Formats: sequence, C-alpha cells, structure tokens
Amino acid sequence: MSNLFDRVKKHPYYLAFLKDAWPYITGAVLLSVFQIVTLAVTGNPWGVSAVFANWGAWLYKLAGGVVDKWYYFAGEGTPGSLALLERGILKDPGTWRNVGIIVGALFATLIASGFKFKKIKSWRQVIAAVLGGLLMGYGARIGFGCNIGAFYSGIASLSLSGWVFGAFLFVGAIIGSKLLVKYFM
Amino acid sequence: MSDTPATAPDAGTSGGIRRSLRSTSTRKKKKNQIPMGLAVLAVIVIGVVLLAAGSPLLAFFWLTGNIFGFVLQRTRFCFTAAMRDPYLTGGTSLAKAVLVALAVTSIGFVAIKYGAQAQGLPIPGQSFVVPVSLATVVGGIMFGIGMVISGGCASGTLMRVGEGFGMQILSLFFFVVGSFWGAHDFGWWKLNFIVRGKAIFLPDIFGWLGAIVVQLAVIACLWIAADKWAKHKSAAEHQ
Amino acid sequence: MAEVELDCMGEACPIPLVKAQKKIEELAVSDILIVHIDHSCAMKNLPEWAREAGHNVEIEEIDDGEWDVIIEKVK
Repeated sequence: MSNLFDRVKKHPYYLAFLKDAWPYITGAVLLSVFQIVTLAVTGNPWGVSAVFANWGAWLYKLAGGVVDKWYYFAGEGTPGSLALLERGILKDPGTWRNVGIIVGALFATLIASGFKFKKIKSWRQVIAAVLGGLLMGYGARIGFGCNIGAFYSGIASLSLSGWVFGAFLFVGAIIGSKLLVKYFM
Repeated sequence: MSDTPATAPDAGTSGGIRRSLRSTSTRKKKKNQIPMGLAVLAVIVIGVVLLAAGSPLLAFFWLTGNIFGFVLQRTRFCFTAAMRDPYLTGGTSLAKAVLVALAVTSIGFVAIKYGAQAQGLPIPGQSFVVPVSLATVVGGIMFGIGMVISGGCASGTLMRVGEGFGMQILSLFFFVVGSFWGAHDFGWWKLNFIVRGKAIFLPDIFGWLGAIVVQLAVIACLWIAADKWAKHKSAAEHQ
Repeated sequence: MAEVELDCMGEACPIPLVKAQKKIEELAVSDILIVHIDHSCAMKNLPEWAREAGHNVEIEEIDDGEWDVIIEKVK
C-alpha cells in the first residue's frame, strides 16, 4: 500500500495538480469563481471576520456573559444578530465556512505531503500574534469586515467603502511593515 | 515553478547549482502524508453529506469553505503580501493577482446584481455596501497593521491554522477577542461616526455600465502602476 | 565560491525573504546562499524574487514542509 502512495508521489499529474504550487493568477480566477457562486447561491458575498465576533459571543456566554443589550447584536440591521446567536454555533453557516477554510488548507497541505507543525519561536512572535490579532479583530468590526468582507467583497460589490477600506489597509500595511522590521525581526 | 527535488548529493547534476556535498542520507526519512490527506478528504465529504441531510445551505458553506481553503493554500494566495510587499520587498505579483481577482469578481457581481434589478427582484449582497466614515479609515489602518505584524489576514490566518502554524492559532484566538471587543464598541462608533457616513453604491452614481467600466479602468491603472513599480524597484537594486 | 547558510526555520512571512534580500548583498558574485525555510509562502516568494533579480535558483524539499532554497548570486 505504501508503495502505491510512493509511486503516486512521483506521478506528473499528482505533481501538477496536488503538489506543486499553482500560479497566483489561477488563484485569482478560482477565488472569483467561487465568490460569484457564493453570491448567486447565498445572496451575499464571501465574508470571514463577522463570524469571529459570534465565536466571541458564544465563548462569553459559556463564561456566563450576556450580549442582549449590545447594539451590535441587538440593533436593527447591524452586522450581528441575536437570533443567529440563539440558533447556536452548529447552525451558523459562517462558522462552517471558516472551519472549512482551515480544513481545506489542511487537506491541501497533507495531500502535497507538506504538513509540519511550526511552533512559536520567540516572545516577539507571541506579541506580534496577540497584537496583530486584536488589531485585526477590532479593525474588522468597525470597518464592517476584513480583507475579504470589507475589501474584496466590498469592492466587488461596487461599494465605495471597499476602495476606502482598501486604501487604508495599504496605509496600515506600510506602518505594519515598519514596525515589523523595527521590532519583530 | 519549483524544480523537482534532488535526492542525491550534488555531484554531476547537470545544469544544477554546484554545492558542497551535503549528506542527505542522515536526514529523516520523509513520511508520505498522502494517506492522511485522503483521510481529511473523507472527513470533508462526509461533512457535506451529513450537513446536506439537515440543511443544504450549511453543506454549501462547508464545501465552499474547503474549496477556498484549498485554493488559498495551493496558490499561496496572500492578501497581506499583496499590500505589504510593494513597500517591503518591492514585489507586486500578488498585488496584481488581487487586482485580477477584484476585476473578475466585479464582473460577475455586477451581472448578478443588475440581473436581479432588471427582473424586479431585490438586489443580493447590498448589505456589503456600507457607509464610508472615519470608522472605515481607522478600521482599515488597524487591520492593515495587524495583518502585517501577525503574518496573515483573516483568510490567511485560517489557512495557516490549517497548515499548522502555531503563531496563527494564537493570532486567531486574539482575532476573536478583538472582534468581540470591536462588537462591544461598535455602538459607540456607529453613533459618533458611522451614522454620519454615506453608503455609496457606484451604479447609483455612474449607472450600471458606467460603474463597472470605471471600476475596471481604475483596476487596470493600478495594475499598470504595480507593474511599473516592480520594474522600478528591480532596476534600483542593480545599480 | 563561498556557501552561506541562512536559517529561517519557524520565521513568519515575510521574514525569510527580507533576510535573504539583505544577506545576498553581503555575498560576492558566484557565491551561494542556502536558505532553510518551513514556510510555504517563502517557498514561492523567495525563488520568485531571486529569479527576478537574475540569480540562479533551485529548491530542494528536504522534509515534509521543509525546503532549502539555493540561490547562486549571478550579478
């Protein structure tokens, strides 16, 4: 059995489809295809970060907290929804999609025999991850989304907000790069 | 494109870079992870089937999530790098790829939206057309800084969790915390800034055709700028 | 023809590339820089940059998820 897998590993079609990296443009086209499919099927474009606020709410609930009075979840037409929180995490489509991204990437890595667990190397990486995560989370909520929901989907939805968010993503990236070189390298 | 792996020490690799003898025999034997990959594939498929039984919608989200994750990993697509590399390394290949994605998706989206309106149906996805305000500016800057220092944006972080990066698992946890904090403060931002902003849907200004033409034109200009920038940076390096 | 090794294992994006760009400036022409990485982004952006800059590049997969990017400085 292991002989079969070893032979597959050297087969040209395996290499082309499942092992070697694909060109960036292929990615651009495929992501576009599935973005369009998503809008057509679900009535909304792809989004990633709104789900994280919900995960936060469910964790908070486990700790005994309650968000019923928060405008974000309780207000009319806000990104959050008490009804969705009530239905629970297993019925949250966004959760399934986000976990899907993790598993899909895991599958891609394993099938290319490229998986390796990379441990955190230094305190600098810890601080970068903590700070970076907090900034992204907060920024995404007040910006109505992340690089996908606010930027990619926003622009594709022909909303000016996508362009404005994108311009300032770029500004933030420059600031972040300076910080990276100065403190995190 | 990556060259096929060399397994023997250099001697006599025609056209290959000559290097000193490196003992590959002392390295660990490579495990073949394909069987594990297939096991994960089975989980994905079972997931689709089980979810579809209760709710086709959930199955769809699960399936497309996996597809996005697979494509992102396979192509090493990175929005963070697209925004960061022009400044940090002078590279713009990802920026150009992102521009292509924006263009192609825009075309599909405008078609769906226009079609809906033309048939007298509600336009899908309009909840993503949001007011432009100081919150957009601050949010963008915060997210931009965060994604670069943590080494991944929203999609990139999820992808790297799947690839086994401990740092992104930590980053994801704090992304959740930050999101929750942001949700908490959202009311304040709404009251003080967002409510004064306007949501601008480009077809309302330029008409349907005008909007897509203008958008594609802007994307084309940015693409050219990215192309020129990379050439400029490359020339500057070889003085 | 010197051979210089640059260990970038466990480094986050884009650190392997930035370090390699800095290191290669210290090398003489026809020196070889070997970058050890375990980051899939670097496995793509390092060779891309090196080729753009005119150097010879080879990638060797040394283990699951680990690569050596071998760059021969050409100019």
